[in-house]
Formats: sequence, structure tokens, C-alpha cells
Amino acid sequence: MNLALIALLPFLGAVLPPLLIRSGRNVCALATGAVTALALALLLVQAPAVFRGEVVRASFPWLPQAGLEASFFLDGFGFFFAFLILAIGLLIVTYARFYLSREDPMGRFYAFLLLFQGAMVGIVLSDNVLLLVIFWELTSLSSFLLIGYWRHLPEGRQGARMALVVTGAGGLALLAGLLLLAQVAGSYELTTILTRAEAVKGSELYLPILLLVLAGAFTKSAQFPFHFWLPHAMAAPTPVSAYLHSATMVKAGLFLMGRLWPVLSGTEAWFLIVAGTGLLTMLIAAWIAIFKDDLKALLAFSTVSHLGLVTMLLGLGTGTAALAAVFHVLNHASFKAALFMTAGIVDHEAHTRDARRLGGLLHLMPITGTLAILASLSMAGIPPLNGFLSKELMLEEALHTEWGGTGRLFPILAVLAATCSVAYSFRYVTHVFLGPVRDDYPHRPHDPPAGMWLPVALLVAAVVLIGILAEPVAGPLVRLAAEAVTAGAAPEATLKLWHGVTPALVASGVALFAGLVLLAAFGPIVRLREALWRPEAKRMFEATVEAVATGARAVSEAIHDERLQRMVAWTLAAILAVGLVTGWGGIGTGERPGLPVAPLGLLLWAGAIAAALAVALFHHQRLLALIVTSVVGLIVSLTFVWFSAPDLALTQLSVEIVTTVLLLLALNYLPRESPRESTPARRGRDVAIAAVAGLGVTGLLWAILTSDFAIPTISTYHLAESKPGGGGTNVVNVILVDFRGYDTLGEIIVLGIAALAIFAVLDSTFRGTAVQRLRTWSHEPEAADRHPMMLVVATRIMLPLALMVGIYIFFRGHNQPGGGFIAGLVVGVALIVQYMASGWAWARARTRIDYHALIGFGVFVATATGVGSWLFDRPFLTSNYGYFHVPLLGEVELATAMLFDLGVFSTVVGVVMLVLANMARVAARAEPQTGVPTAMDSVPEPRLADERITTTAPVPVPERTRQEA
Amino acid sequence: MSGALLPWLGELLVTVLLLAGSFFIVVGSWGLLRLPTFMQRLHGPTKATTLGVGGILIASMLFFLFTEGRLSVHELLITLFLFLTAPVSAYMLAKAHLHRARLDEEVPPTGRPVGWATFDPAASDPDPDRSLRPDRAP
Repeated sequence: MNLALIALLPFLGAVLPPLLIRSGRNVCALATGAVTALALALLLVQAPAVFRGEVVRASFPWLPQAGLEASFFLDGFGFFFAFLILAIGLLIVTYARFYLSREDPMGRFYAFLLLFQGAMVGIVLSDNVLLLVIFWELTSLSSFLLIGYWRHLPEGRQGARMALVVTGAGGLALLAGLLLLAQVAGSYELTTILTRAEAVKGSELYLPILLLVLAGAFTKSAQFPFHFWLPHAMAAPTPVSAYLHSATMVKAGLFLMGRLWPVLSGTEAWFLIVAGTGLLTMLIAAWIAIFKDDLKALLAFSTVSHLGLVTMLLGLGTGTAALAAVFHVLNHASFKAALFMTAGIVDHEAHTRDARRLGGLLHLMPITGTLAILASLSMAGIPPLNGFLSKELMLEEALHTEWGGTGRLFPILAVLAATCSVAYSFRYVTHVFLGPVRDDYPHRPHDPPAGMWLPVALLVAAVVLIGILAEPVAGPLVRLAAEAVTAGAAPEATLKLWHGVTPALVASGVALFAGLVLLAAFGPIVRLREALWRPEAKRMFEATVEAVATGARAVSEAIHDERLQRMVAWTLAAILAVGLVTGWGGIGTGERPGLPVAPLGLLLWAGAIAAALAVALFHHQRLLALIVTSVVGLIVSLTFVWFSAPDLALTQLSVEIVTTVLLLLALNYLPRESPRESTPARRGRDVAIAAVAGLGVTGLLWAILTSDFAIPTISTYHLAESKPGGGGTNVVNVILVDFRGYDTLGEIIVLGIAALAIFAVLDSTFRGTAVQRLRTWSHEPEAADRHPMMLVVATRIMLPLALMVGIYIFFRGHNQPGGGFIAGLVVGVALIVQYMASGWAWARARTRIDYHALIGFGVFVATATGVGSWLFDRPFLTSNYGYFHVPLLGEVELATAMLFDLGVFSTVVGVVMLVLANMARVAARAEPQTGVPTAMDSVPEPRLADERITTTAPVPVPERTRQEA
Repeated sequence: MSGALLPWLGELLVTVLLLAGSFFIVVGSWGLLRLPTFMQRLHGPTKATTLGVGGILIASMLFFLFTEGRLSVHELLITLFLFLTAPVSAYMLAKAHLHRARLDEEVPPTGRPVGWATFDPAASDPDPDRSLRPDRAP
């Protein structure tokens, strides 16, 4: 349990900062720090067991059918990473409190940071590979949010998008790779997979698995050629760069390669791809880093280079190299996070991080300067700092590596990369902190408050301590982690400063000297580089994205263009083609005996056909077409009555009315007639397709209606179980609210979303150019008495009656025809009539219910009813019923399904009214304000909270009516 | 039932009412078909719904009273709704017609100081004093 809690705590804690920011920035930061510290404490509680060599596990079923379990395990490697994440996280939280300015929304920042922290800890603790992928994608998402934290900066938004595209795509590849791996290994649990090395390496799927997993790892850890996103992610606030983009998230790829090292490493392909990519990345990024004037860009490329270094070490496939890799992860996290924070301090204090505008800062900010220089020297690999130790180990390993048929190429490239590393490290020192004090800083710098340099100091203390006392301080942890990586094959190398004059030390000396020479010749080399062509990653990325988007748009425009006719034509043609190819075998007369034709049925049938033909004939006159369409609806409703389906008939009738009214409102904004646009040839084609499709459907219906069911239908079950199972005799209603309640719940949610979408679309007509067009809308001649007294009086008398009918239908629904859906429509119709008779302003001013809230209430009640059954240990949406004696009414049956039905009812009313009110609002907006009040009453002040309603010019109230009121 | 006469009389009454109702419905439909102008045609169905359906509804009430001895009230409700809806829909139809016909057909004078309510804002003014002022006539 504790193990899952370590990963879950940051997620749970993420709600705290946005809430606590009201109590001040200090409380907010303290709460975030407390969450991180608590998670760290929970981790450290497990430390003794881990150091004893045990593997701590915790597992909960989540979706066992899909192989997804919430299972966690903690071994040395996971412990090492989780410790780094949480410990550095604590320092970052402190630093960020002082880094963020007063205008920055701190609550949001800390919330995102905690989300990231939880996801990252989740990756390193996951046992289940699917769970790992989920956390993996969550880190991509939280990184996206954090890079784009300063939303107003375009660099931030672009960088965030780029990072998300690259790492998100990698995550998908990883998912594919891990699924294949799980299939080959026969388990989704890492602990099991790690024991199946032989099966995996011997599988013919090994190469695809390797490539896919590495695609995920390389994109995340910014390996060439996916390295370009990391420098652009530097648009994030510096604490984010220090935490995500140098110390932790970018190491997730390294973690993954380390985690799967026992199963995947040691083959030729692994060595060539991983070590080769790592080496190339290390060299290219180190070279670019030298020339970056932006301090954060310099550090970003240096990070890419160091990630390459670790990748290369993992690629070598030997135990010692794995130890060196783990050790360097620790060292790099300590000195690079410190360096990023010093870069942030410089930016914060001097208001620039352009190396060309800086220099001499050591005299102005001695503490920061000293810390930065120490960390840089470690990055350059100068003894006795920790960077030196891991670099020695790396060079030692490189010297023993053969590549490209020779034992020389690999070490030479590694030394070259080390040379560049020395050059950029010393550039960071000399061009920023050393040299004379200048007098043209954008802002005169001085040391920041202790809260900003203390985290740096702690990291630098670690840098020095690990350097001097490597074996006692870091030895046990690193060895533990490395043993977990190599699955027990204990690496022999010892961590110490002095190994004697080894080839590695000589190589190190060469690199130091060459690096200093390179820096001395900085000016000429920059000019030389400027003269040469360089690929620009961002432009290439954007061109690629643009090309992909254009291609996708071309494809979708070719398939669905905006002409409905063409889309329908193609769809029907495709269906017909499939039908023709597969043959018409299914169509024919079945064995079921026919029923005698009733004259009434014949009449309905003829009427429906006539109406359908009329729609086709008159469809250019839209109003007429609408009326004829509603005739078809009414005939369908009558057909339901004839076949004894009163529920369906009621529903069809009310749906028909509501639809017709809403369509009339919509038609109001459209031309009266559709122009004739299509050519005779196209019309001929359309008629042909329509005729063939219609005949096909007829044939299918004929075949179905004349045949018996091949298997017994579910309706017998529904009929039998309706009363004992659902407590209602109206089977239709019981199906809706009980048997298939899940469907209904989904449907009302969709209905609600659709209504909100209509609201959003129509709402935009009140802004911008649309409102101008509405104002200049040419009006048809309108009646002087727009709200005739006769209609007004009749509808108001009808209102309570109609509402009562609605409520009656609702309550009887469970046992007799009716139910929430029909009742909602009936009430909706009752209210619509008020809008029609008395006008939008009148009706709206008297409506105290917010339709948005009504939709929300409906969905909430329905969901809560479903959830309620959990309280009684039943599955979601189990219904219960009982009989109660109510005074005056007598014996009454109450079912929980009725509560669910109330949700359906509210949603339907809300949806109908929201759509209607907004369509009508557009009309009200366009209506000329004639000042004619509604018959019968005074106009009350609008009492809605909704501000927009008051923008309608108030209707003047005549003197007399006001006195009466 | 107290004797044979009453059911017989009842049957006669129900039959007469049914026939009368049907007659008015036929007349209304015939009128809808044959009358020359829209306004005249409008009279047909309104008569049919009030007199024709009214007769049939009363026949139905009497039928249940005589055969089952209970008072059926559904018919009263139907009557209420018919009386509510038929005039309103006829009124709205007439109004729509007036607007459509205004351009090509002369509307007869109202014979009152004000014009047709649907054209003349004064006629629909809720203040009767003002609307009756002769200077507002069209």
C-alpha cells in the first residue's frame, strides 16, 4: 500500500496548491514541499528492505481483462531514481518559491509540478508495463503544461507543443513496443519480464521490440535525431528546466533502457543502436553547446550531450559500464540541476542570460558565482569533483570498445566529446562569472535571497562530497542500483579518485588541454561556424508538422468535403458497392406467414409514401418541406399507435413537435428557398443512387420482416424480468431506466453536450461580425400585434394543465406508458408554447431556472443514482423498489429507477429549453424594438443573473399598467 | 335501465346526434374544398370541429350513459381542448393569410376607427383610450 501511496501522494497533493494560494505564497510552497517530503519519507521507510536486497511489491487489480494492474515494485534501481526525483523535487520547490514573480500564478505551477512528480515516481515504481506507459504519457502531458506555463509567450507555447508531439509520439511507440514485449515474455509484470531474457532475445520480434522501445526512450531522453525538442523546452521557467529537463524527466528514457537492460542488452543490435546513438548525441550536442549564447540553451545542449553519454554507457552492455551509467545519472542530476538554478539566478538578477552581455559576475554575486564555478568544473570533469569520477569511468570503458572494425574510433570520438564538454563548461565559467565587472548589465546583479541559493549550495555540496568521498557517500546506493540494472551481475569497479596513471587519465588530460585551446580560439571558430550551413531543427520540425497537417487536410477534404450531398452519395455508393459484391443472397421472402392488410394500415402506408414523395418534390421550398416532413413523423406516430406501442407513439409525437418548432426557428435565419445548384447530370446520379439504395433497404426490410428470428430475442427476457427485476410493468420504461440504464446515461450526457455545443455556437453570434449582420438583417413585414391576446391567454391557461400532464406521465411511467423522457418533452412543449405566444423576453424574464444548471442537475442525479448502488455493494445502476403508503394517494410504488428517470427528465427539459431559448434569443436580438408590450401584463425587470439578457433593450412599460401592478 | 323505451330512445338520440355531427363534418370538408377564397374556406373546418365533433362527442357521452350507466367525462375534456385550440389556430391561420395577401389583395375596411390589429399597432395597443382615438385610423 505504501508503495502505491508514494506515487499517488503527489497526485492527491496537487489539489492543495491551487486552494492554498489564497493563504499566501509561503503556505502554498510549504504545502507542496510537505507533500513531496511526505512521499520522500514514505520512500525512505522502505530503504532498509531495499538495501537488504529485497524487492518490495504492491499490487491492486485495475483492468485485469486488459492485463492492466496497478502493481508497483521497488528495487535498487527504482529506489535510486525515486530518491533523486523526490529529493531534487524538494529543492526545486524551495527554489521556485523565490524564483516565481508575484504575477505568476503559483498555485497552478505547483499543481503541475506535483502532477509531474507523481507521474515520474509512477514510472520508476511501476511493475505493470501498461501502468508504466500511462505514467510515461502523464509526464509528457505535465511537461507540456509546465513548458507552456507562461502562456503569453509564443516560445513557451511552441516549445510545449513540440515537446508534446515528440515525446507523445515516442510514448505511443513505447506502448507498442511494451505490448509486443509483454506478449513475447508472457506477462505484463516487469518483475516477470526481466526473468525472461532468453525468450525475448531469441524471439523474432526482438528487433521490432527493441526499435519501438528505443523510439520511446530516445524521444524522451532527447537522443539524436530527436534531441531538438529539449532546447526549445527551455522556454519553461528555470525550476522546470532544472527539474524536468535536466534532472528527472529526460532521464526517464535512460531509466527505461536501464530497466530493460537485462532483457534487451548484450546483442549486436543493442550495441550498435544504443551506443552509437549515444556517442553521436554526446558529440554533436557538446559541439553545439559551445556556441550557444543563451545560458539555458548552452545547458540544454550540454544536458543532451550528457544524456548521450549515459545512453552510450548503457549501450556498451557491460556491468561496469552500467555502473558508470548509474553513477553519472546521479552526478549529472546534481551538477546540472545546480547549474540550471544558477542560470536562473543570473537571469533573475541581471535580467539577461545572454553570455555576450555578461561577465565578471563573480565579484557582484560571490556566493552564486562560487557555486556555479564548482558545478561547472564538475561538468567539465575536473578532479576532485564527482563529474570527474564518472567521466573517468566512461573514458575507461570507451577505450576498451571496438566500433566500426577498429578499437580507435570509439575512444577518439569520446575524447572529442569530452573536449567540447570542457570547452562549454569553461565558457560558462569565464564568459559569465570571470573577467572584469561590466557597467552595461540590464540590471545590476547581486546575490539572491538565501532561499534561491541554498538549494544550489546543497547540490554543490553533494557534488564535492561525492567527488571526494565517492565510495562511502554514493557507493552503496549506486552499487545497489547498478546491481538491479544488471540483474545481479555485480560490477567490480570501485569509485575512487586515484586509480594511478591510467589511459583514461591521460585521455582526460588531453581533453582538458584541447578544450581550453578550443575556448581560447573561440572568436575565430564562431566566425567559421557562422559561415557554414547549419540545419535548423525548429524550422525543419515546423515544416514537417505543416506538411503532415496539409496532407491530412487534403485527405480529409478529399473524403469529406463540405458538401453533404457528395458525402451522402459516396457513403451510399460505397454501401451499395459492398452489397453488390457480397451478393443479394440475404434478400428474399422468408418463411414467416403474412398478416392480412388492414385498410387503415394501407392508408397510413399510402400517406407516408405520398409525404415522402412530396418532400422530394418540394424540398426547394424549405417551409413546405418541413411541414411535409412532420407529416411523415405524425404518420409514424400513428403507426406506433396502431401496433400498440403507446410509449413510442407518445415519444414520437412530442419529439416531432419539438423538432418542428426548433427547425422553424432555425429556418427563420435561412433563405426561404434553396437555390437550384446541381446540374441535371448530378441530379440524375443522385436519383439513381437514392432509388437503388431505397430499393435495397426495402429488400432488406422485407427479408427481415418476413423471416423468423434465427435466435431467440432478448425481448422475452425483458418481458419476463420487467416486473420481478425492475419493479415496473412498463417494459419500455424499465428497459430505458434499468436494463439498459447505462446506455440511457450515456445518451443524456451526449444530449447535454450537444445542447451546450449549440449554445456555444449560437453564443458567438452575439459577438463580432455576426452581431453586425444580425442588426442589419432585413425583416419580413411583421404583425403589429406580435403577441396576440387570444394566443397568449390560451397558452397561459394551458400551461398548468400541460405541466400537470407532464408530471402525471412522469409518475405513471414505470408501470404504464410514459416516463421521464416523454414527460420531459411534454413539459418542454408546454414551455416552448409560452415562448411562442408571449415572446422570448417575456418568457425568459419569468424563468428562474438556469437551463445549464438543469442539464447538469439531470446528469448528476442520474449518475448519483447509479453510484448510489455502490453503497449497497451492488454494481453500478442496480435499481431497487418498494411499496410505500402515502397519505391521500394510497399505496405507491417507489423505485430508485424513478430517481434515475428524474435525471433523464431534467436533462431533456434543460436541453430542449436551452436550445430553444438560444435560437429564440438570436431572433430577439434581431427583432426591431417596437416597444409594444405583451398583452395582458406589465413587464417585470429581468431578474436573471445572466448579464446578457439585459442587453436587450428594456420594453417601456406604459403608465397605466405600471399603476395596476 | 327501467324499460325498453329508454334504450330505444337513447339509441335514437345517439344516432341523431352522430348523424348531425357527421353531416356538419361533411359540410365543413365540402366547404373547404369548394369555397372560393381562403377566408371563406377557413369557415369550413372551424364549423366541422365545433358543431360536427361536438355532436359526436355528446353522442359518445350519451352512449356510455345509456349502455354502461356511467358518466364519461373524457368528452368534456376533449371539448375543452377543441374550444381552446380550434379558434386559436383559425385565428393564426387568418392572420398569416392577411400578411401573405396584403400585397395583392385588398383587405376590406374594419368599420372601426382603427385598422386590422395585425397591421395597425394602434389596434393592438393595450391602452384602449389611445387606440380608439380617431386620428390613429389608417
